[in-house]
Amino acid sequence: MPEFEAANDAELDVTFVPWEDVSTRLNTGFAGGTAPDVFGHGPAAAAGLAESDRLEPLDGFIELLEPSDLEDLAAFLVGGQVNGSQYMVPLGGEGRLIAYRKDLFADAGLDPDDPPSTWNDAYDAAVELTSGDTAGLILQTGEIQRVQSFMGLLGSEGGQLLSDDGAEVTWNSDAGVRALEYFVRLHQGDPAVSDLLGADFANQPAAQNPLATGSAAMVMVTSGQAVQIARARPELTDQIALIQPMSSAEAEMFGGPGPGLFMNKDSGNKELAWAFMEFMLSADVSESYAQVTGQIPVRASAKDGDYVADEPLIASFIEAGPNFVGSPNVPAWVEVRNVIDQHLERALHAEVSPREALDDAAAEAGPLLSGE
Amino acid sequence: MGALFVAPAAAYIGIFHLFPVVYGLYLSFTRYSPLDRGGPQLIGIDNYVDLLSDADFHKSVRVTVQFVAEVLPFAVAIALGLALLANRSMRGIGLFRAGLFLPRIVPLAAVSLIWLWLYSPDGWFNHLLGQVGLDPRNWLLDEGTALHAVAGMRVWKALGGNMVLFLAGLQAIPRTLYEAATVDGANSWQRFRYVTLPGLRPVTTYIVILNIVYLAQSFAEIFILTGGGPLRSTTTTNFLIYEEAFQNNRFGSASAMAFVLFALIFAFSFMILRRMGSNR
Repeated sequence: MPEFEAANDAELDVTFVPWEDVSTRLNTGFAGGTAPDVFGHGPAAAAGLAESDRLEPLDGFIELLEPSDLEDLAAFLVGGQVNGSQYMVPLGGEGRLIAYRKDLFADAGLDPDDPPSTWNDAYDAAVELTSGDTAGLILQTGEIQRVQSFMGLLGSEGGQLLSDDGAEVTWNSDAGVRALEYFVRLHQGDPAVSDLLGADFANQPAAQNPLATGSAAMVMVTSGQAVQIARARPELTDQIALIQPMSSAEAEMFGGPGPGLFMNKDSGNKELAWAFMEFMLSADVSESYAQVTGQIPVRASAKDGDYVADEPLIASFIEAGPNFVGSPNVPAWVEVRNVIDQHLERALHAEVSPREALDDAAAEAGPLLSGE
Repeated sequence: MGALFVAPAAAYIGIFHLFPVVYGLYLSFTRYSPLDRGGPQLIGIDNYVDLLSDADFHKSVRVTVQFVAEVLPFAVAIALGLALLANRSMRGIGLFRAGLFLPRIVPLAAVSLIWLWLYSPDGWFNHLLGQVGLDPRNWLLDEGTALHAVAGMRVWKALGGNMVLFLAGLQAIPRTLYEAATVDGANSWQRFRYVTLPGLRPVTTYIVILNIVYLAQSFAEIFILTGGGPLRSTTTTNFLIYEEAFQNNRFGSASAMAFVLFALIFAFSFMILRRMGSNR
């Protein structure tokens, strides 16, 4: 901040807000006319805020970037677009991969250098790895996180959540049912290989992650979690490895652009607001931001930088980049996601069958997608 | 001149207390998202009608009632027992009272974070279970234990405040009543039953109503410990109101829920007041 303020003869008033409070603070800010000029939020919020006419389109500013910068940022910029218009500039990338403990693999008689490459192989390995104190395979099942886990499984089965135009539900296809059946089997199968259903690893200290404590042999992690676990337990650095996206029909995992910066349409400082966003996208600052947060660098050229060299786990996430699938950019996405989340939870607790859960979610989400 | 002295306080109450309530009541008859530039749109009593068939709202009311029913008896009875102990004059009684009151002055959010760790898979409660040879439990992740776990924390949190109120009530009972009962041959149980309990009736009524009002609006402990899950088994009405307003951006519907909750709390408190107040 001081560097930007000095370079632009400006004074920034920065407010740090816990992630779970971002929407609350922003919405009340919009209602009261006190929303900030620039704010950080996730790409899932982009379409809804754009439809509510709260976002300044950034296309005019983006055009002013150097062609070389545009090319460097291209992979993640597209995730900040809604109907072809740029509304968010991502500050980093995020993805989910399965991390595993080599020592626990060896203890179970499995080859630590030959991890499973398909979801079915992963289940079989998890059966071998599961013991009284150790779960074989844990996907993220906290609130909202279970939707992201499901999206990875769904993509692996060759399915997708919505039709290409975003108007119709397609998650209750046969591929969707197979994906959810697999997810449920981890927790309710015979044998069950997973534990801690509903636990929120995203907001947990890294040292308490089941991978760090050894209470799980394979755990779904974000890039940030993987880096933080390695930093919190340096003695495990050589024992933790990542598996590239596993496949059923295809190899996909949830991922894409992470939270980024938006410009308030009512801002009275749009030029300065863009100057700040451009500053955050600059090579040095964006790499330093990714390093602190443990995210995938937003610039492709950063793969040759010091951060990736110092954090070998990040290289695996960059390699998996083409296999990441993100959230649909539809206005009602946040509400639709909450609906899916509720019904996935019912299926994971074996309250209803996977088919019934997905059909119920589709029936409830249909009117939201059509704007009712 | 008198009005001038009252004006600042009246303005404060009007702006920060009455206006939000009246505006909330108005919002309950509208459709309103804070993101909409058009402001609230009047839709009559639709929000209230929708609540009649809202399964999530019905479940939240049941969860709220169960939560109050689980916490209230223990929070009152144990606090009374502690107050009886703390009312004795003995060495170190001040420290004993201060220790019991301590949870009352710690913010609920901070208490919840501490209990979040106590209930975690590697936390203190599972350590205790391990010490006696029992398997660990997922206290906050299991539908069968989550609400009980939150209720247990809330009982602990409520004890200090309730105990102090009971202590004040005990010390307000004239000693002469106990002396007269002793002269009449009453034993300690009879003195408790026929002197202490009747003497504590006003403060007990106050404590019960105060606890109902607080517990029925539980939010922070739910937000931190369980987030309303699993399977909405800890989604109280107040937590649902938060979700409806700040996650789904439906301020009108959330306001209607808030006023129905207010009506339920008011009716229940009034019923308790009539019953406990008239049973003299």
